[in-house]
Amino acid sequence: MVPPVCYLLFPVVDGSSAGTMFELVQALNDDAEVLKRRTPNPIGLNAGCELFIAFVTLFPHESESFAGLKTELVHQGRKYAAEALTFRDKIAELTLGFIKDDSVILTHSYSRVVMKALLHAHKTKRISSIYARSPASDQLMHMRHRLKTYETLTAAGIPCTVVLDSAVAYVMDRVDFVLVGSEAVVESGGLINAVGSNQMAIIAKAASKPFYALAESYKFHRLFPLSQYDLPTHNSTILSLPTLPQRPAVPRFSGSEPATSTSAAHEAAASASRTSTPEMKMDAEQISRNPSVDYTRRVLSFWNTQFPY
Amino acid sequence: MAPAATLDVQVQPSNGEPSRTLPKPQKEMTKAERRELQERQRAAKATKQAAVPNGVNGKTANNKKPTEVTQPSNVPAQRKERRASRAADTARPTPAPVNKPLQKVPLVAAADASVEKARGLRIFAHFGLPKPASIAKGEIHPTIVRLALQFSNFKITGANARCIATLTAFKTVIQDYSTPPHTTLSRHLMTHLSPQISHLVAARPMAITMGNAIRQLKLEISGSDIDLPEQDAKNALCSKIDHYIRDRIIMADQVIQETAGSKIKDGDVILTYARSSVVEKVLLDAHTEGRDFSVIIVDSRPMLEGKRLLSILSAAGIQCTYLLLPALGSVINEVSTVLVGAHSIHSNGSVFSRAGTALVAMMAKRHSVPVVVCCETYKFSEGVQLDSFTKNELAPIGDMFSSFPLTKPRDALTLQNRPNLEILNPLYDLTPPSCITAVVTEVGVIPPNSISSIPLALGRLL
Repeated sequence: MVPPVCYLLFPVVDGSSAGTMFELVQALNDDAEVLKRRTPNPIGLNAGCELFIAFVTLFPHESESFAGLKTELVHQGRKYAAEALTFRDKIAELTLGFIKDDSVILTHSYSRVVMKALLHAHKTKRISSIYARSPASDQLMHMRHRLKTYETLTAAGIPCTVVLDSAVAYVMDRVDFVLVGSEAVVESGGLINAVGSNQMAIIAKAASKPFYALAESYKFHRLFPLSQYDLPTHNSTILSLPTLPQRPAVPRFSGSEPATSTSAAHEAAASASRTSTPEMKMDAEQISRNPSVDYTRRVLSFWNTQFPY
Repeated sequence: MAPAATLDVQVQPSNGEPSRTLPKPQKEMTKAERRELQERQRAAKATKQAAVPNGVNGKTANNKKPTEVTQPSNVPAQRKERRASRAADTARPTPAPVNKPLQKVPLVAAADASVEKARGLRIFAHFGLPKPASIAKGEIHPTIVRLALQFSNFKITGANARCIATLTAFKTVIQDYSTPPHTTLSRHLMTHLSPQISHLVAARPMAITMGNAIRQLKLEISGSDIDLPEQDAKNALCSKIDHYIRDRIIMADQVIQETAGSKIKDGDVILTYARSSVVEKVLLDAHTEGRDFSVIIVDSRPMLEGKRLLSILSAAGIQCTYLLLPALGSVINEVSTVLVGAHSIHSNGSVFSRAGTALVAMMAKRHSVPVVVCCETYKFSEGVQLDSFTKNELAPIGDMFSSFPLTKPRDALTLQNRPNLEILNPLYDLTPPSCITAVVTEVGVIPPNSISSIPLALGRLL
């Protein structure tokens, strides 16, 4: 998320009329706020904006004028953003050490860094992958994400099977390890990722299988969720119970004179059910009650979580 | 509860004698009979105590001792008699043949008068016992004398309050101090302060917070400029103390209020244990910000500090529930977050806090309720503590904290003078880091096992 955020915020630095650091940071904060309001899932964006603002505030003030400082900021920022684009290649290179020949890897959702790592590993090793896909998340995700993982992997020649995410526990024993991307890595050492990662991690733990998350360093986020419901993405509509529509009154069996209006309504309802039955899709409201990301707790580890800033 | 404990100890000496004949007949008795025997013994004891008003202390024991010491040969005879009576009991359970009280006070213990004087289980002898303010050694400033009294009487409690009170008192001491000739303030002031500190420690063991603050003060004193006029140097020290209080305690609390307050959501049920000044502020702050939540206050003997928190929170208009520690299990499922304060926090992430906190945290952990500890960074102690047994403090024996307007005199309420009864009230316990979800400090929310990285990140020694 950092490179796009950087490119979005450079013009702010460049074009701002701010005469002081305080004004500049304030302008950045305001614009970051606007950005956050526009996106449904602000976690990655938050991390990016936070990093950018920290970068601006902690930047060494060496130039004589403020304008000079601003150009220097943008220059250094662009350098960092360009560098950030190479992070995924570095991660792919590092992941190689974890992958053995004939590994069966379970992955989840679509993650660019996981894709890169798998495709990179495919160049040197024989791997096959299982991609867990959830019918619900299919609808949640953008159309282009549907089965994108599967298609990309198959096109590259990696054998790939698609399982439902309800079958994760079933396949876990056949899997060598789980590899997922990340939305953010939080201060507790936990992971925020596409919904379903948490149960995958729990199942992997129960089956004593390694669970790896790939994260670029700009995904580190100063956030400490206490539970799933403490995430910034959680809102009151998620998991809320719908108010049931009033149950339609059962038409009285008068037999003698069926009211035309009732029968018409009945006919309409029947036709509606006929058309909706084969589809069996969640409607937009039902989808909106589902979370898009979940929080995987750090279960066991002994290192200290130390943040680079 | 207490009489039963006493009884066990009473029965033991006769049981513990070389001949192990006695347990058998006791086993033969039915439960009801044994119960009856106990009741009788208890009644006998009560009448005896009633006969000696207020004489439940060492005096009675002393009176009794000679007779018992001269009577050891009597014991087997008595036992025989008792056995006979028990045999009879099985036949006709109603009468009460044991008229005389049982042999009291084990002989060994009776001989050792110092044991009675010590009060407190011997394995807990290393715990700091509160002492009445000792006679001052050296020149003790009146402010310190008063503060020591307030500490030992538990008029000032809580890590923050004690630290602030100590530092404020030291400000007065420093202002009233004048450097003797041929010395400098930076060298001599500390020797003037150390008897004051040891006087405070004699009143009540020093809190980690006080230790950290005093260490910082020592550093400031030794670093103060020799060429500065005395009054200026003293003023500088006092302002340093003020800054310490402001930065490390007052402002830290405000930051914690905001951070921890953001973890309270509408409709939450917050559980807290005893009373922590920080938690109190967090809850009040979240309430003034208009968040709609309710609070469960869990409390426990002997200090019942939660009552004060209850009165403050309910006066502010927060929905409160008050319960004692044993009832925790029934409400823990309703709780969304546990919010507790801390006395100090060790570098391995374990939290030293009011006795009972560990229980609450473990219960919450078992039920997957997040446990959040609110703690300023100046409470960090670089040591490691693995249990609450190696270092702890005992609450004063007796009902010092009770505010019940009972008709009985206070002496009658306390159990402290019963022979063979030890009351153990440790003030603190240790919550292992595995039971804590997060620690809220003024530098952010951190997992408990990252505590040790904080001083480093702050770039200073605590």
